Order: sequence, then structure tokens, then C-alpha cells
Amino acid sequence: MTDTPVVSVRDLHKTYGKANEKQYEALKGISFDVTKDEFVGIMGASGSGKTTLLNILATLDEPTSGEVEINQQVLTNLKGNQIADFRAKQVGFIFQDFNLLENLTNYENIALPLSLQNIGRKKAQPEVQRVAEQLNIEGILEKYPTEISGGQKQRVAAARALVSHPAILFGDEPTGALDSNSARDLLEMLVTINHERQVPILLVTHDPFSASYCQRILFIKDGKIGQEIRRGTQTRQQFYQAILDTLGTFD
Amino acid sequence: MLNKLAFAGIKSRLKDYVVLFFGLIMSSAIFYMFESLATNKAFIKANAQQITGANFIFLFGAILLTIITLVYVFYANSFLMSMRRHDYGLFIMLGAKQAKIGQLILLETMTIGTIASVIGVLVGWGLTASVGPFLMSRMIGTKLQHFSAFYLPAVVTTIVLYLVLFLIAGVINRFALTKTAVLQLLKGDSQPNKPVLKPVSQFLQVVVGAGLLMVGYYAMSHIEKFALSTIPIGLVTVVLGTYFLFNAIFVWLILLFKRSDWANHGLRNFTLSQLSFRIHNYTKILSVVSILIALSLGAITVGIGMQRQVTALSTASSAYTMAIKNPSRQTNQLINKLTLDTKVTYQQKEANKVIYYRADQLKKSPLQFTGFKSPLNAKQKNRLASPTYRSLTSAQLKGHPEQLMELQPNAPQKSIRLVSAASFNKLPVRTQQLTLFRVKNLQADKAGLKRIVASMGNPSVETIPGSYSTFVLSTALFGGLEFMGFFLGIAFLAMLASCLMFKILSGAATDKKRYEMLNKIGARPSQLRGSIAREILVLFVLPAIVGVVHVMFGLQMFRVLMLNPYYQIWLPFTIFFVLYMIYYIITVQLYEHIVLPKLTIDK
Repeated sequence: MTDTPVVSVRDLHKTYGKANEKQYEALKGISFDVTKDEFVGIMGASGSGKTTLLNILATLDEPTSGEVEINQQVLTNLKGNQIADFRAKQVGFIFQDFNLLENLTNYENIALPLSLQNIGRKKAQPEVQRVAEQLNIEGILEKYPTEISGGQKQRVAAARALVSHPAILFGDEPTGALDSNSARDLLEMLVTINHERQVPILLVTHDPFSASYCQRILFIKDGKIGQEIRRGTQTRQQFYQAILDTLGTFD
Repeated sequence: MLNKLAFAGIKSRLKDYVVLFFGLIMSSAIFYMFESLATNKAFIKANAQQITGANFIFLFGAILLTIITLVYVFYANSFLMSMRRHDYGLFIMLGAKQAKIGQLILLETMTIGTIASVIGVLVGWGLTASVGPFLMSRMIGTKLQHFSAFYLPAVVTTIVLYLVLFLIAGVINRFALTKTAVLQLLKGDSQPNKPVLKPVSQFLQVVVGAGLLMVGYYAMSHIEKFALSTIPIGLVTVVLGTYFLFNAIFVWLILLFKRSDWANHGLRNFTLSQLSFRIHNYTKILSVVSILIALSLGAITVGIGMQRQVTALSTASSAYTMAIKNPSRQTNQLINKLTLDTKVTYQQKEANKVIYYRADQLKKSPLQFTGFKSPLNAKQKNRLASPTYRSLTSAQLKGHPEQLMELQPNAPQKSIRLVSAASFNKLPVRTQQLTLFRVKNLQADKAGLKRIVASMGNPSVETIPGSYSTFVLSTALFGGLEFMGFFLGIAFLAMLASCLMFKILSGAATDKKRYEMLNKIGARPSQLRGSIAREILVLFVLPAIVGVVHVMFGLQMFRVLMLNPYYQIWLPFTIFFVLYMIYYIITVQLYEHIVLPKLTIDK
């Protein structure tokens, strides 16, 4: 926990709407760090600003003011192609609705980030194979996303997010579209990846069960971090209870 | 209330509707322009009646244009529906009755159809009035007779046709939408077609397709044998043959590319998958487009070829541009201003149905003649624009007095006699002059020649011997046809490219999500644009290649009408492909506008 943070957010503000129109401030000064081996959850009600935050972290949106640094790169300094390349190399993203391309096979979906970096077939194949083995999806690589279950889809999406060895993995309600068994599988898999690959994970969710797999949870309310709790030595069940208690008093 | 909602939906997507309207208005404007020419009885009577089969050609053109308009309206309509599906799904989910939705669809489709066709007719009227005469004067050099831009029957035909087409389209939309499950409306159809190789069936398709094409090509290059049935035979075999070949070869080709190492670079694999993903939807339109490309290219080629043909044929019809008896001093001056190839003046005397010439004059500057034996070989055909001229010796002239007689204005039933200068002078009649001249290029000296005719007191051109009268008469005769070919070609091109454009844009709504995903996983904007440009390029280029092959064979049909249909073929091809590429660029721009995510994504 002593190394330099992988993600460092300083006084982030985001205002929607032009100066002469009615404005809405989604983020009102958010600061936090995520270190190399952390599994951090971000919780908050709908409209609390958590998705805005995630979009800014993933360079899909720009902050009005404040600074984000990921893997020693200041995001606001990136321009044009650098943004796209940053997304391709440094960030892995898992979405609620999988975001798999249904016109590509699962293999092709996973290999896409490598192909975007112009990595040839010979080099890409072992990488895809390795991540597929780790996520236990070798058997469905030649199928199309429409031919597999939701849980499998999310594994394919995770494989695609991990294949280019990103500095951080973002999850935007990744269990949102899964049944409880698949959700549990996915979350356990994320914990394993977090340990084995030493890749930090930032999970945005409003589901206390998902959040209970995290080590640390930031509660966002009205664009600010309202509270922060750590799992520490608690069991997952205890932590789950702690989250529920926090949510109960958070209003 | 729902009506309000529906039109609010239109407002929110105004840009896409502008595209749709623009296409529809252009299409109905072109249709009106054509109809105002093709159905205008006075115009046809004045310009093309003497030509056998002219009516047939006009009718044929009108039918083809109607068919392509039909195809066009359906594709434009599917574009419209791709924009509205989600809204309709939402309305049903909110509790709107199916019948009400059906009404809405019909109302909306008909409103768009009515507005577009009325504006289209107005635009078409304007275009016919402004561009029409300009185009015609550029191409034919003379004014077409009985030409009026506003022709009521054409207005009625255009509007009625469009309303009927839109009514059919609206009913089909209504049926399709109300039969689709609400969830599917909301989510859009995203079931992919997995490209599969079925070697046996594909091999069969290749064999059948190639066989049909061969039959079609054979029929077209032996038009003497099949006469008018060539056209239906050619159309059916070539259309089916193209479809089978596209279906069999395209899928196979894409899979081949996908397996290569080349595909694993940037978004190439994605682009190929996009293509194979929609291939089954596209084989039909691609075959139709390739046929239309062939038709319009053929029409333009023949149109331009006809004009060149008129000049070439006229030039070769006589060794002299004009033969003028006793030209005035003014006429002589005007003649000398032309770019002359040759000019000669013979003295002659007329007595008792005999015309006397001085043998020494004819020996010094012998009479020239030209002519070509039919059929010409390919080399001769290409040289047709610059025919060779040979001189007649006195002995030859005696054997063929008609060579000189035909240059003699108003001299029926007379004979000629060559006499010595001395005997000529003794003849007790007035000496007359016969001036013969030939210009280097009829087309280039058109204006000067007209002035000469004017200086002679504007006799009708038929009475002036020489190639000029042939030129004027055949220009008037072929003028209508020539214009028609060119115009039909451009109209087809505009329609077919718009069809392809709307077909591609209809898919854009469902593609939007894919490009957003690619953006999220880090594809550069330049890579996304490159992928779009390449994907659409393939869809444009493939039918173009096939269309060019079709037209190369199809031009065989015009061997009976034209000396060399392939002469300087690059010109119509260039015109065609420049226009086609403009459509390609517009399509790419519109597609990018629809699918490419903006820099920031507001959720």
C-alpha cells in the first residue's frame, strides 16, 4: 500500500450545460487514490454522479476542472489519438450490457484491442488463449456473442478488457444484467484477477452484494464523496452488513 | 396526442429527415423531368417520330425509370422506418393501440410522400426549364421543338405514381411494424447472419450464375438473331446471373480475407465482419445496382456516342461540306473564314439538259469522293471521324458522272460532258461557277456554316448538296434520342446511387451502437472513419465492377445502330464515375454523421 497510486483524482468538477443555460453540477470536487492492488467500489444512488465519474476516468468525458492521473499520465493533457490509444492500452472496461460486437466471434472480440494496436495474429493468439484459460472460456471462442449466456458474455467482455494488460480495470455495474449465480462467479473471478494479475479494479455499482467483494467503498452523494468504509479483516458477510448499515444511514 | 408525439419525433431528427427529403425530392424531380419529355406527345412527334422504335425506346425508358423509382421509394422508406422503429415501440409500450400506430405510420408516410412529390415536381419543373434547354443546346446545337417545361399529364403522373408507391410502402410498413414484437422494436434487430460456406450449393450457384450470364452476353452480342427479344432475355439472365454470382462469391471472398493475416490489423477484421454481417441483405441490392449501373452507363455511352456518330457519319457522307452554285462575294468571304480542308471552283455551262465542264479544270484540281464499304472492320470504324478522300480521274468521272451530278443543286435528269477550254468558250451560254469546299470539322464550324446558309438567303438545307445537309438533318433526327440516352443515364445514376445510399444509411441506426463500443475500447477516430470508408467503398465498387462488365457486353447490342459503340468509351465512363464517387463521398459523410460518437458522451 506504499507505492504510488495508479489512479489519482484531485478536486474533480463536472458541470453540464452551457454558461448561459441552466446548469447542472454533477461532480462537486471529488478526490481519491487507487493503489496497485486495490479493489475499490463506488456506490451511490442514481444521479449521484458515479457514472459521470467513471466516464471521466475512462476518458469518455472531460472534467470541467480538476485533474485525473492514471499510471502517471495526466488525462487532461491527452489529445485526439492519444485519448483513443490510452483507452486501448491503459484501460480495461466492463459494461453492464457487455458491449460485445455481435458480428464478431468471441475470439475476435477479445483480440480486437490487440488488433487495434496492430499486433499480428501470431503474437495475439497466445495472449487471447492465456486470458481465455484464466477466465475459463476456451470452449466458446469460436461462437458468436448471441450464442452464449449472459454470464459467459460478461467473461468474454472481461477477457477483452484484460487482454491488453491494462493499468486499471473499470466495471460499470458489470453484474447488473446477470442472474445471481453468474454474478457471484463474475465477482469471484474479478477478485482472483485482482490478486493474481495485480491489476486494480474500480467497480461502480448500487448493488450492496457486488460491493461486498470490494476492499474499500466510496459513497457518493450529490456529486461529493460522503463516506468511505474499508473491509479490513471483516468477512464478506460482515462487510455486506456494514454496507447495508451505511446505506441505511447515508440519506 | 400521439400525432403530436409523432411529429415531435420528426422534429428531433430533423437532419436525418432532411437527407430523406432531399433524396425523395431529387428522385421525383428527375422522374418529372423524364416524364415531361417522354410523355409530351407534341415534343416526341416533332423530334423523334421518324425514327423507328423511338416510341418503344421512350416507353422502355419510362418503365425502367418507374421500376427503379419503386425500388428507390422502398429503400428510402426502410431508412425512414429504421429511424422510427424505436419511437413506435415506445408508443406501443406506453399503451397505444396497434390500430392507432398503424394509422400514424400511414399518415406519416403519406405526408412525407405528398410533400416530397409536390416539391419534387416544382423542382423538376424548374430544372426542366433551366437545365433542359441548356443541356439540349449544348448537345444538339439546335432548339428542340415544342418543348415546354410544364406539362400537366407529367405532373399528374409523377404525383399519382409517388402517392401510390408511398401508399403501398405505408401499408407494408404498417403491416411489418404491427406484427413485430414490441421488445424487438425497442431493441432493434441485432441477430447476426453467420456467414457459412455451403460448398455444394455455392458451387451450383456459381455454375448457374455464370451460365445465365453467358446466355445473356451471347444474346446481347447476337442481336441480329434475337432482335427485340434480346432486351428481355438479357435483362432476366443478367439479373439472375449477377445475383447468384454475388451470393456465392461474396461470402466466400470475405471468409477468405478474414482468415488471412492481413485481417488482423486495426479494424480490418471488424470491417470484414460488418460486410459479411449484412451480406445477405446486400446481395439483392448489389445485383440490382450493378444492372442499373450497366443500364445508365450504357445509356450515357450510347447518348454521347450518337452525337459523335452523327458528326462522323455526316462527314463521311460526302467529300464536300457544301456545293454552292454561283456564290455571292459575301458567301465567298464567309467560306474563306472557315477552317478549310479543300476548296475548288469549277466553271460550267448549261444547255439542253447537258452541263458542260472544262476538262482542264477537272484535271488540274480533280473532283474528290469518299465513301465506305459496309461492314467496316474495327480499324476503319475508329478512323471514321477522319475519312480519306480520293480523286477521280477524267476517265473515272466519265464512268461515274453521278459523283459530280450529286453536287449539282437542282439538276435532275441532266447529263454532264467534259470539253476542252476552247469548245467551252464557244458555247453560247452564260458561264456559271460551282464552288465546292470541305471544312476540317463540321461540329467546330457549325456556326460559320450557318452564316453561309444565311448569306444565300436561307434556302432549306436539303437543297444544298454536301455533308452539311446530312449533318443538320441527322442532328435533328437523332437529337431527341441522344438527349434521351444521356438524360436517362444520369437519371438512373442518381436513382441507383440514392438507393444504395439509403440502403446503407438504413443500417446506420443499428451500427451506431457498434461504433460507440469500438470508441469505448479505444479505437482511434481515424480508424473508425477508415473502417466506414472502406466498408462503404466495397459496397460501391463491387457493383460498379460488375456493371462495367455488363455494359461492355451490353454495348454489343448497339452495333446495329452505331458504327462503333466503344469509340472513346473513356469519356462517358469518366463522367459516370465522377458522379458516382460524389455519391460515395456524400454517403460516407452522412453515415459518419449518424454513427460516429461525439467526443463527449452524456449519459
